[in-house]
Amino acid sequence: MSKKILLAEDDEDNRDLVSFVLQRSRLGAELIIAENGQEAVDKAFESIPNLILMDMQMPVMDGWTAIPILKGDKRTKHIPIIAFTAQAKPEDKVRTLEIGCAEHYSKPMDPEELIALIRKYLAD
Amino acid sequence: MTNIPQNTAKSAPAVSPDKTAAKQCLLSADRFLKESRFQDARTEIEKAKKFDPTNVYVLAFLDRINYFEAEKKKEAAAKAHPAPPPPHAASPTPHAAAPQPVKPIVPNVPKPAPAPAEVPLATAPTAPVKPKEAPEPIAPGRSEHKGVETTLEEMKRQIEMLTHSLAQEKKAREEMSTQQLQSNVLQVRTSMEKAWANGAPNEKEEEELHKLAISLSIPENVEHSLRREVKLKMYSTAVKEVISKRQLLRSSSSTLEWLRKVYQVSMEEYLEYETKFLLDLVADQYKGTLLYVTPNVKTKDELIPRLKSAGYAVVLSGTPEEALEKIEKINPNIILCHTEFSPGSLSGIKFLHLLRASAKFNFIPFLLFCESVEVSQLKSSELRQHEGFLKKPIDVDELMIAMNEKLAHFRDYVSSLS
Repeated sequence: MSKKILLAEDDEDNRDLVSFVLQRSRLGAELIIAENGQEAVDKAFESIPNLILMDMQMPVMDGWTAIPILKGDKRTKHIPIIAFTAQAKPEDKVRTLEIGCAEHYSKPMDPEELIALIRKYLAD
Repeated sequence: MTNIPQNTAKSAPAVSPDKTAAKQCLLSADRFLKESRFQDARTEIEKAKKFDPTNVYVLAFLDRINYFEAEKKKEAAAKAHPAPPPPHAASPTPHAAAPQPVKPIVPNVPKPAPAPAEVPLATAPTAPVKPKEAPEPIAPGRSEHKGVETTLEEMKRQIEMLTHSLAQEKKAREEMSTQQLQSNVLQVRTSMEKAWANGAPNEKEEEELHKLAISLSIPENVEHSLRREVKLKMYSTAVKEVISKRQLLRSSSSTLEWLRKVYQVSMEEYLEYETKFLLDLVADQYKGTLLYVTPNVKTKDELIPRLKSAGYAVVLSGTPEEALEKIEKINPNIILCHTEFSPGSLSGIKFLHLLRASAKFNFIPFLLFCESVEVSQLKSSELRQHEGFLKKPIDVDELMIAMNEKLAHFRDYVSSLS
């Protein structure tokens, strides 16, 4: 059974790029897309993905709100979450780890680095 | 009377050619022919001729119709009037004494052959000749000679027709064979493109593609060149796609390198096809002309394709002297120059001094590629804002940053002139 990755990202270009990179990574994972934090929470409860890539700045509900919801629910609390931020400040990294993220990834992205990170969490 | 239809060349139809419709008509004609519906078959052929007067099958089909129709008539005649029993037959049948109706090729042939011996062609008369009470004796002399001549002419005509039909059929077969190969190649190409869409296919997929090529009788060399062509095409497509999102990438050069690995494109292949890859990219993002002065002009420098992919038209010079000759013609927007050249040539630094002395060129952005040992010397030298240096080996991202910075100074300078 193929593994599932939930990508929560409001920017279409970024979604396309992550999709482009994942298709070429040959990981064989299914990509589920959510355009905001609320959609991410709903889809995570519905599909129970193996990994979540969460943009922190999104409309409707941002990542800072969505992640605690996911981490507070017994169905999704075990799912590793990689926080995507455009801010590269060290305090952001600390904050994302504090709310339960497994990793913090600063945009802009590097395909090889991103694949390595995803591979690491899908293997666990 | 003859059953040969009108020559196709006689009347060129006003209807515009429609090859598909003509093909359908030919298929219908074939079906009618098999059902011995010769008139229907002819009607379909006439239709096909109108749709596509150039169709090579038409004549061949008409020949087939005529042939089968003649055969059918012979069969019918043979059934209606069976051959007489031999003279020594014990009990003659009631028909034994009756003369046999014959269908001679030429009416004057004195000893008509029995029906199965006839030449089965369209020119055979359709109405049987009246039965005679007794065969006439052979008329010697002129009429016999004339009859033989006519037969020979008829046979010659028939041979010509057959030869023509065979040639038509051969041409049609060759055409079909070429079309078949093209169709097979297209099928393999489509499967390859699907398999290569997201990078190099895995071993199993490769094996399946190879099996498909074998099953479609694609020669191995054709399969290899197709594979290479598809690989480079899909890589090029991916490059274009990723370049359009380069603002979201940390480094476009490392992304391109990643894609090169994903599509298993060797550096040799990349360099060989770089123009093809980059022309489209450069076309819509031309940033200017770059003069690159390098002693390694004959060796493959990986920097060049990167510069081109960044939107620069790159002009190479092997020495500063050669660069001085080119500079006036190409009027570069930026110059990249190594510091050391072969003995006897100017150094990069000397070249920079010469440009500084020229009122025409002394504001062109200039970057020197230096060795580690030269760094301290260059740091202490009084380089101007549009001049700079980078330590070898050159990091492409660093180079791009430096180039953008120098070009920005140049733009400011040009703006200040107005």
